[in-house]
Amino acid sequence: YPSPMTPMTPITPATPASESSGIVPQLQNIVSTVNLGCKLDLKTIALRARNAEYNPKRFAAVIMRIREPRTTALIFSSGKMVCTGAKSEEQSRLAARKYARVVQKLGFPAKFLDFKIQNMVGSCDVKFPIRLEGLVLTHQQFSSYEPELFPGLIYRMIKPRIVLLIFVSGKVVLTGAKVRAE
Amino acid sequence: MPGGGHCPDCGSTELVEDSHYSQSQLVCSDCGCVVTEGVLTTTFSDEGNLREVTYSRSTGENDQVSRSQQRGLRRVRDLCRVLQLPSTFEDTAVAYYQQAYRHSGIRAARLQKKEVLVGCCVLITCRQHNWPLTMGTVCALLYADLDVFSGTYMQIVKLLGLDVPSLCLADLVKTYCSSFRLFQASPSVPPKYVEDKEKMLSRTLQLVELADETWLVTGRRPLPVITAATFLAWQSLQPSHRLTCSLARFCKLANVDLPYPASSRLQELLSVLLRMAERLAWLQVLKLDKRSVVKHIGDLLQHRHTLVRKAFRDGTAEMEAGEKELRERCQGPEQGKEEVASSSLDLPEGKRPASPTPLLPPCMLKPPKRICPPPPVSTVTGDENISDSEIEQYLRTPQEIKDFEKAQAARQAARSVSNPP
Repeated sequence: YPSPMTPMTPITPATPASESSGIVPQLQNIVSTVNLGCKLDLKTIALRARNAEYNPKRFAAVIMRIREPRTTALIFSSGKMVCTGAKSEEQSRLAARKYARVVQKLGFPAKFLDFKIQNMVGSCDVKFPIRLEGLVLTHQQFSSYEPELFPGLIYRMIKPRIVLLIFVSGKVVLTGAKVRAE
Repeated sequence: MPGGGHCPDCGSTELVEDSHYSQSQLVCSDCGCVVTEGVLTTTFSDEGNLREVTYSRSTGENDQVSRSQQRGLRRVRDLCRVLQLPSTFEDTAVAYYQQAYRHSGIRAARLQKKEVLVGCCVLITCRQHNWPLTMGTVCALLYADLDVFSGTYMQIVKLLGLDVPSLCLADLVKTYCSSFRLFQASPSVPPKYVEDKEKMLSRTLQLVELADETWLVTGRRPLPVITAATFLAWQSLQPSHRLTCSLARFCKLANVDLPYPASSRLQELLSVLLRMAERLAWLQVLKLDKRSVVKHIGDLLQHRHTLVRKAFRDGTAEMEAGEKELRERCQGPEQGKEEVASSSLDLPEGKRPASPTPLLPPCMLKPPKRICPPPPVSTVTGDENISDSEIEQYLRTPQEIKDFEKAQAARQAARSVSNPP
């Protein structure tokens, strides 16, 4: 039988699995959220913790940092928390647990509910220069290249839903993933 | 009238309700005396049941063009006229503005954003007709910040689902070069500096094409490259009189703003020209530098396709070899594999007409600041035990808390002294 040809429409360019480049992006940042499940008094936290910053006029959350894993957390009075800066999903979870423990030791009945990875940022290098002006022509539906505003080309992939920042040097930043597989 | 009212004047019970200019009145039909008057105005509470739906949520908004939108549409037409755009552009830009206004996010936006939106609509129209209008020009005309413009532009392109073609470089060169005041003698432009417009345009275009081919344009703002190319084109057409003129002075007498990156682009373009000169037989012996090469730009451009091919080679393989070499060097003593061919990371010492340099964007030619070793594979599972001592390092001691509170109080006191209520 003649093998069925995947129609090459410009709308959904698909890369067959056999053409995988073998380049694995390196994770640079993970953003996760967790619900500590209780209301928090940010003034108390800022007073009694060494590693906390609280400037209510600028931002309505406490900014807390720990050394290992090296991360930053935004802790809100509602009890919700955002954890950023970890280099892997596991490190992000460990860091979030440590922040929760700090809050517990400060006297709040903190729990660890609905931990979720919200965003994963990775980077890689394809090791060859890229003609961005050519790429924006051939992949016009997914690309935005405005050198007057930003040196990189913004590629919004649909499947998986990832945004790539592609630079002339061949370096690529990938963001928007919720799981490593994406 | 039932109700037992009678006129205080004549005592009649024939009282009639009448409204005089929508003000309700109780009037005696016998003597005409006004017994009571209603209130002309209604209070906020009276109007309670007339306020069920706010204006912004009613359909009244869709029926009329709001004043804010009218102002915006006028601004769009004004901008098109200032830029002397064809009349068809005006209609397209106005249509885009109206389309944008249908979105609630735009209707509720700040005035600053609505002003910038005017520029965005005009810019998109120009781009779609290949009219070379830069964002810098639009921002200058609107006294807008490029950052604010950038945000609104990206938002509106996404919101309206528009396909905006890229800025056409060749058209921009023609428009931009024509704006240089160098084609006629004037008090500020000595006769030796006056140049023929067509000659300058043609040469500038060739230089810009050369810059594009040699990776000096991709990822960079377009205008500074064109400024540098225009300067070189102008200099090279009469080098004997013009080599002494600097880029800054050139822009000043041409009455054009000098964009900051232009000097950097100029140096890069000169480097490319020097590399090409090394491949031209009768120039090799002259041992040119960045000043003297300008005299030969005409020759270099004439043979530019061949020269670029000869002067540069495919940079990718060379780059990988160079990086591998650097990694080996970092790892330990020399492996004995001494690469004779210069790696891309070996900066040429002096001016040796060495093996061709790789044709790569300047950002790839600079040596990396440091080789980032791949991070050690993390064995964290996320479920590790967290020791109390580790957490306690982040908590203040009671003494620290007291000190901190004292310091805060002192600062408060100092503030209230310096700012008496």
